[in-house]
Amino acid sequence: MEKVLSVTMEIGTLSGVVIDSFQFGFDTLTTGERLLGESNLIIRTPDAVCRCSDCGHVMMSSGIRTEQCPLCRNRLLIPESGDDLVLRQVEME
Amino acid sequence: MCDSCGCPSPGTTSYSHDHDGHSHSHSHGHHHNATSGTRTVDVHASLFAANDALAKINRDHFEEMGAVALNLISSPGSGKTTLLEHTIEALKGEIRIGVIEGDIETERDADRIRAKGVPAIQLTTGGACHLDAAMIHRGFHQLQKEAGGDNIDLLFIENVGNLVCPATFDLGEHERVVLVSVPEGPDKPAKYPKAFTSSHTFLITKTDLLPYFDFPVAEATREALQLNHHLKVIDLCATKGGEGFESWLGYLRGLVAAMKAKRR
Repeated sequence: MEKVLSVTMEIGTLSGVVIDSFQFGFDTLTTGERLLGESNLIIRTPDAVCRCSDCGHVMMSSGIRTEQCPLCRNRLLIPESGDDLVLRQVEME
Repeated sequence: MCDSCGCPSPGTTSYSHDHDGHSHSHSHGHHHNATSGTRTVDVHASLFAANDALAKINRDHFEEMGAVALNLISSPGSGKTTLLEHTIEALKGEIRIGVIEGDIETERDADRIRAKGVPAIQLTTGGACHLDAAMIHRGFHQLQKEAGGDNIDLLFIENVGNLVCPATFDLGEHERVVLVSVPEGPDKPAKYPKAFTSSHTFLITKTDLLPYFDFPVAEATREALQLNHHLKVIDLCATKGGEGFESWLGYLRGLVAAMKAKRR
């Protein structure tokens, strides 16, 4: 393997990770690197899935945060996904 | 064995392994593309999972010692260290307390706590705005040394002053406590929701200043409970004692008693 062509990350909308900052950091750290210097950062942003802590209703949320459960109006929603930072794939040559 | 320092620990999980002469994480698939000569590796490694796994090890460590751990989160200057100083005074001779202090620079907070006669260690992050599970892991070992073999019933972890990033990192605490002081204003739950949705307890501090600031306690409480109706809310003044401070001490006594009962 001579070089890394691409790095694929999954950054959930509830992860607290700022995508622009992540991209900036990646570019800064890889510039001039033998293996990573020409690599592309591919970022996927999966929608968050939340579960109501009271009635258990499961809902999708493509925005920053769902305000409340549409069924019981409870506001404490537990993220089931979309709160993680995941290294998905590395493509090499 | 513990992953990071080799100490014995139950429930330790290894999340990396060696394979084909190189080290990498979790299960994965390789795809070879013969025509282009490229190779794609599916990794699927959660970068937060490493923190969460270590947080679980920390929790096991605390419980082995019989310690209940609290993670204190707030803006700088809300009175976390002052609250700890007065709490240590009030519980002297009753509950054995240890403190891990987090700050960007200086030993000042740990010095203040040591002056009260309890073991304390200072973690200086050198710029990072939060503590993570790995720092606490190292810090707890140092604290055990400083405690000289004595057990700790109640471990306070004072996070770096910040209402944002600390909310994302599980340190292995049993309860998370978020503090807002009266001069900061009542809008903090609405502006920094994650600190409140991820906490167990909400302390409103410096209530002796209520006559001088526009801080409707009922409104701040209502907004916090709208976000997380499981929150226990206590408003108190640490320096002057009173009803709220007694409620806080009662809450701590309850946690310590529950941990002792669990170990029996």
